[in-house]
Amino acid sequence: MQTKQFSIKVCEVNLIDESEFISYFNKNYTLFKNHLISINGDISQKIEEYLNEKELKYIVNIELPKTKNQNRVNKNITPVESKENKELKELENKQKKSFTVLDTLIRSGRELNIEGDLLLLNRVNSGATITTDGNLIITKIVDGSIRCNGNFMMLKASSKANIIFHDVEVDNSFLKERLNRVELKNNEIIVTPVLKEINWV
Amino acid sequence: MGIVLAVISGKGGVGKTTTTANVGLGIAMNGKKCVVVDFDIGQRNLDMILGLENRVVYDIIQVMDEEVGLKQALIKSKMDDNLYFLAASQTKDKTVLDSKKIKKLIDSLSDEFEFVILDAPAGIESGYEHTIEFADSAIIVVNPEVSSIRDADRAIGILDSKSQKVKDGSEVKKYLIINRINAEMVQSGEMLASEDILDILSIPLIGKIPEDKGIVDASNQGKPIILDKKSPAGQAYRRISTRLCGEIVDLMDIESVKSGFLTKIKGIFQ
Repeated sequence: MQTKQFSIKVCEVNLIDESEFISYFNKNYTLFKNHLISINGDISQKIEEYLNEKELKYIVNIELPKTKNQNRVNKNITPVESKENKELKELENKQKKSFTVLDTLIRSGRELNIEGDLLLLNRVNSGATITTDGNLIITKIVDGSIRCNGNFMMLKASSKANIIFHDVEVDNSFLKERLNRVELKNNEIIVTPVLKEINWV
Repeated sequence: MGIVLAVISGKGGVGKTTTTANVGLGIAMNGKKCVVVDFDIGQRNLDMILGLENRVVYDIIQVMDEEVGLKQALIKSKMDDNLYFLAASQTKDKTVLDSKKIKKLIDSLSDEFEFVILDAPAGIESGYEHTIEFADSAIIVVNPEVSSIRDADRAIGILDSKSQKVKDGSEVKKYLIINRINAEMVQSGEMLASEDILDILSIPLIGKIPEDKGIVDASNQGKPIILDKKSPAGQAYRRISTRLCGEIVDLMDIESVKSGFLTKIKGIFQ
């Protein structure tokens, strides 16, 4: 004799009100279409037709073998979803908060510490320091010092500038004249010049 | 209420005091009542450059401490009737300055004069901060060299964060003077070009002053170079003063090398 063993998902419902039952399954059809519906209570013809129409597999008034996490699924499915949404929203907010856009000239003696990403639309003068935990884009020339710990940075620097990316000093000679993309790949710092001139509006 | 103008630079020796003396005299020559105040407490120089060394009796600290009246301490210049001078103390140091007293003094000066020009000390510590505290606008003097530019940049940063006008939500007007420009060195690329300096500091230019050997002698004699009508630096100061009085004067090109008759002959033999 050959046997197969597998687990299936069961949705256990107590049938009290017909219309409530139908509206509930209409709403959550996608969720339960691959579940076995175990119905406790008297099943009317209308419900039978409805279940057949939706091609839902069901059993009526059968006592299921009790397991530890029985009944949990039905109650928890909706909360789990909302929790995920919440987390997504939180993540989105966090990203919004940690993205800074600045259009001020960073003069000598100023120290900027940015926790997230930074887009700077002005120059960084000699003697100024910018530190970011996130990614960094500077559209005008950099004469000061930069400490970036993000995934990448894009900048144009003069020979006076001191650029440190993930605690490694980046060779300035690469960064002159045009915008460059500096990124970390396989523990190696790669500098690629941006060939096309970007028109910052 | 008159305009309170601070002359700052950050770095020392770039020509703050010379600029203060010449611009002050230039404004007075334009018919505006003007007072120049030496804020370099403990190291006064402005009196010598204005040729008023022997006439100083009372100083700014004595006025602020109300030991003497303001009228007694103000010295009227013989070079122009509209120019007055208030000397710094040579014996005290910068720590005696106090914000309340400075505000009172500057208020009473700006009630009486159309222009109040403050000569700031070099550096960026308390003396400098007190000078810029109640200024409406500032003249930033730089030389076309990197150290001067960086120091001026820092001084502007402090001006933008510590002056009373900024704290009240408005802005201190800033004017840039590039001093001691040597045309030949700019042409050969040894000296920073004005465009680069303007790029770095990003404040409006009010004038460029060429390197002029006459300035040393003028300072030693106590006769500001602006009185010498033939001197290129004197002419530059005249133009700047007129601009500060609100008139429009075209910027002169002092960075290209003049091709006079003699230089052409020299060129043939080179």
